[in-house]
Amino acid sequence: MALLKVKFDQKKRVKLAQGLWLMNWFSVLAGIIIFGLGLFLKIELRKRSDVMNNSESHFVPNSLIGVGVLSCVFNSLAGKICYDALDPAKYAKWKPWLKPYLAVCVLFNVTLFLVALCCFLLRGSLESTLAHGLKNGMKFYRDTDTPGRCFMKKTIDMLQIEFKCCGNNGFRDWFEIQWISNRYLDFSSKEVKDRIKSNVDGRYLVDGVPFSCCNPNSPRPCIQYQLTNNSAHYSYDHQTEELNLWLRGCRAALLSYYSNLMNTIGAATLLVWLFEATITVGLRYLHTALEGMANPEDPECESEGWLLEKSLPETWKAFLESVKKLGQGNQVEAEGEDAGQAPAAG
Amino acid sequence: MAPVLPLVLPLQPRIRLAQGLWLLSWLLVLVGGLTLLCSGHLLVQVWHLGTFLAPSCPFSALPQVALAASAVALGTGLVGSGASRASLDAEQYPPWRGVLGPLLVAGTAGGGGLLVLALGLALALPGTLDTGLEEGLGSALAHYKDTEVPGRCQAKRLLDELQLRHHCCGRHGYKDWFGIQWVSNRYLDPNDHDVVDRIQSNVEGLYLIDGVPFSCCNPHSPRPCLQSQLSDPHAHPLFDPRQPNLNLWSQGCHEVLLGHLQGLASTLGNMLAVTFLLQTLVLLGLRYLQTALEGLGGVIDGGGEAQGYLFPAGLKDMLKTAWLQGVGPHRPAPGESPPEEPPKEGLPEA
Repeated sequence: MALLKVKFDQKKRVKLAQGLWLMNWFSVLAGIIIFGLGLFLKIELRKRSDVMNNSESHFVPNSLIGVGVLSCVFNSLAGKICYDALDPAKYAKWKPWLKPYLAVCVLFNVTLFLVALCCFLLRGSLESTLAHGLKNGMKFYRDTDTPGRCFMKKTIDMLQIEFKCCGNNGFRDWFEIQWISNRYLDFSSKEVKDRIKSNVDGRYLVDGVPFSCCNPNSPRPCIQYQLTNNSAHYSYDHQTEELNLWLRGCRAALLSYYSNLMNTIGAATLLVWLFEATITVGLRYLHTALEGMANPEDPECESEGWLLEKSLPETWKAFLESVKKLGQGNQVEAEGEDAGQAPAAG
Repeated sequence: MAPVLPLVLPLQPRIRLAQGLWLLSWLLVLVGGLTLLCSGHLLVQVWHLGTFLAPSCPFSALPQVALAASAVALGTGLVGSGASRASLDAEQYPPWRGVLGPLLVAGTAGGGGLLVLALGLALALPGTLDTGLEEGLGSALAHYKDTEVPGRCQAKRLLDELQLRHHCCGRHGYKDWFGIQWVSNRYLDPNDHDVVDRIQSNVEGLYLIDGVPFSCCNPHSPRPCLQSQLSDPHAHPLFDPRQPNLNLWSQGCHEVLLGHLQGLASTLGNMLAVTFLLQTLVLLGLRYLQTALEGLGGVIDGGGEAQGYLFPAGLKDMLKTAWLQGVGPHRPAPGESPPEEPPKEGLPEA
């Protein structure tokens, strides 16, 4: 008893083949889109690899690129097959390849589904990479004269301006590191000397932030220094002031940006997966319908198409049997060898 | 009455004309679409920068007219491709016969007129940007501190975002900020000696400082941004005058915005010129095709030679015919044949 049997007359077969041909070419387009999305994600990750310690995982965009290319190749091949399917002469040369090709298609669909799932799961690893990368980035903010790290100040400033964020988890992260280089400190000033002496590691820590943390929505000019000292500024209370600086941390901002991006890409990949699965099912029906034609010379005859020749449990049993036979076949050969050797020895 | 610019069109050249016209029409559709996108982009940019352009500046008319002109050009391209495709098929052409005439008139008058107007605006309006930006930016700078005044409260945020995004400071340089009060009186301590001194030393009672807002800061500078006491050489020690001053953005927002908008306007002008050329060619081709096919009585496959022309008669003759048409019913002159439509039969003449 075949699974999901459908009767096909010639008109239906022709329509199925034509529909599949069109769907395959749309799917090539979808494959190009997936390739483009993977490339875009890779470029976005590369753009900010400075704040991720250059250690971010490129697994997801690389697999998207690979799957996109594979999808283009498989679907253009399937389109050619569907085009030739209605001509018995041309179809004959594809016949022996169709069954292994369908198996490869099923494997490809499974891969596509797994890649789509990975898009949603990358968030976790990205969070820890960002936390470490931003911490290091802020540490090197002042090293504008160290070759190899001189760009970090510009990168962090542009990042904070573009993503409207400040520090790793908030603006207080800047209070704990020395972000003003010693080159620009006047060591003859009493205030500077006091601060450095009062710190265990001899660092110059201030309760101030760089200018890129400033929020343009604030009604008053930006207050960057002496943030915790209410008396230093007129009519200022640091406990209630919310509009002066960006309150969000850059880790949360970047994470939300990349999560949204990858959720969108994951959703698009799932849609493409559904499309591909439909195409594989259609191709299977076409294959079995053409195989089931009683008289291959007569194109007008009716035939049946199905997904699986027997029902699901029977097919699974038959598959296990064939695997066992494969194993038994080796066993029989080995026994034969032993039996052959034993009389020879004995 | 001799037709204007006649052209003999036997079957093969007619088919070639139709095919070439089909290609040109799709090219016109493509270029029209691109011009549409370009004018849409300029419209969005002008809308974003609306606060910094004086309300009296007519620059915003350019993208609007260009949008309309490119939409008409797009339509002309589609009509042209449809008509040229239909002219090769005997069954599809009859419905086009009645529509093509009025469509050609609409295309030439409407489309051509709009394109010429848009081109003219693209040449003339960028000159008005200078004064418009001067006024607009000056007003924005003056209202920077008015974050509590309804109607002006957005000026600070918009100006800060402009300076951050376009990498500029002040109108022509950072010193513009020294001449205006950009700190609101709400945040000035009336008991502070320094504040009182500054206000008293100024004729108009303004609190002027030699400092700039944070949005003027340049992230490329190796040292943390210096925003205050910029005219005092001793306020910030260790400043090396030999190194280029990367502390603040050096360009003024006036130059940056002027260059940006004028660049967009010139690109739009170039695309409008190309669209105009293509549209003229398509309309000419359609006219010749129409008149040639009318000469055959609307029969496409006729192997006979037909003559295509621009106008059935010279301008003077056409005016005389029109005048006679109007006067004829009242006073039919002797010997004059009753007024007729311009001859549809082509004359075998070069």
